[in-house]
Amino acid sequence: MTIKMRPIALNLLSLAVFAAVWQAGSMAVGSPFFPAPLEIVRAFLRLAASGDTQGTSLWIHSWASLYRVLVGFAAGVLLGVPLGLLMGLYRNVYAATRSVIEPFRFIPPIAWIPLAIIFFSGLPRFAFLIFLGAFFPVFTSTLVGVQRVELVHRKVALVYGASRLYVLTHIVVPTVLPDILAGMRIAMGAAWLTIVAAELAGGTNEGLGRMMLNYSELLKIPEIIVGMILIGLIGFVLNEILLLVERYLFKWRWQVTL
Amino acid sequence: MALAGDIVNAPTPVAASVDSRPKVEVDISHRYGALKVHEGVRFGVQENEFLCIAGPSGCGKTTLLDILCGLLAPSVGQVLIDGERADPKRHNISFVFQEPSTLPWLTVWDNIATGLRIKKQPEAQIDAMVADIIRTVNLTGFERYYPHQISGGMKQRVAIARAFATQADLVLMDEPFVSLDQPTRERMQQEVLDIWQHHKRTIIFVTHNLEEAVFLGDRVIILSAKPASIVADIPIKLQRPRDPLSIEFTALRAHCVRLLQEVHVKGGGAATAP
Repeated sequence: MTIKMRPIALNLLSLAVFAAVWQAGSMAVGSPFFPAPLEIVRAFLRLAASGDTQGTSLWIHSWASLYRVLVGFAAGVLLGVPLGLLMGLYRNVYAATRSVIEPFRFIPPIAWIPLAIIFFSGLPRFAFLIFLGAFFPVFTSTLVGVQRVELVHRKVALVYGASRLYVLTHIVVPTVLPDILAGMRIAMGAAWLTIVAAELAGGTNEGLGRMMLNYSELLKIPEIIVGMILIGLIGFVLNEILLLVERYLFKWRWQVTL
Repeated sequence: MALAGDIVNAPTPVAASVDSRPKVEVDISHRYGALKVHEGVRFGVQENEFLCIAGPSGCGKTTLLDILCGLLAPSVGQVLIDGERADPKRHNISFVFQEPSTLPWLTVWDNIATGLRIKKQPEAQIDAMVADIIRTVNLTGFERYYPHQISGGMKQRVAIARAFATQADLVLMDEPFVSLDQPTRERMQQEVLDIWQHHKRTIIFVTHNLEEAVFLGDRVIILSAKPASIVADIPIKLQRPRDPLSIEFTALRAHCVRLLQEVHVKGGGAATAP
């Protein structure tokens, strides 16, 4: 894959324009409630060098959030994919249990926070909430993907005497993998949405959400924005990693992932 | 049609002597609930014989093929290969499907190797056989391409190569050229004959196109509409390479067309059943 310079240059230009507009707006308003980009950079350097008011470093906050997300996300994928495959292949299992499963999908993970506060503390609480956010995108896209497996592809294997396991691993999984990856990207987005909300609900001293809440009480807007930007950046990087995995795995695909 | 022009002077394959036991023996009747699909369809195929089956649409050919390859059990009767009930796990059966059947996530090479891998052949042997068949079907240089990178005709060639890569007891072909344009179709017909002459196989080729059937087959079986049974079993004794413009060819083809027309007339409305 050749790295294309033109889009990179255009994106850098967009960023510069964004920062310039922001700076101009801040200068025009001239209020401490509208900090300029440079102040955000300064707040970032302060946080990076000496940590927050309790001396907890920015990296510990970031890693705490990232770690919780990764644990919950992994749990969501590890349960969502096999369950999606199972219910996709045995449609009657899904048909029989649909009324139990589907309503859960519409309970946002945030709505589970009060229960999670009662039943769990520490990592399990956050992992549980993230899991709820990550499970359904993966489960649903796997379930839908299985329906796309073409009968003729199954027959290709069956005519040669392939076992059910062979059909599953060599026909069904390769067909569904693009859907699973797409579900994982949605799940990753949902996981980030959930982690910040869960951390804002308290019960922890670490995490980007927690850090932002601390500075919110101190009315320190630049530090809050540093937290927001870091959340956006980490989410962006995770998504890019998944995209790279997708491009590597699915070079056989005609469709280009956007 | 310019089919005869580019044919090398290949000898006509000689089917095993008629009185020996056929390689494949079919004697089946099949029904879905009250719907009779096949009524006493009974024929044999000699080893290395090229049999074409033609019939009106709605004669249950897809069902017949599923039964022939052992994926579907007939209501009555059985399909025997070498005297044993046809079983994909025990016999080497290959299938060239009507619709595109290359696996999009595998390269041309891996697609062709699929059957050999399922049959758990040793890797070295797989490499040798795939390399050999790739030369035969003129896909040299395309081994590492993915199906989406090659044309429809090439994809079907991959499917044909996959079917001929295994030492198949029986190769089933379900209108494999129906979606190809006429020149590609004619070229592919010739290629299948070439492959068949190099890698002896027993072939059952289903088609609606009688010209194709007469051009390819050692024999042509004509089926009636549902409930399908055999209307005619016509040996095609024309010398290969065949010239579709010759008087003998045209006469045989006309004979088949008339038989099929009678089936349509007799079948009446039933011929349009699914």
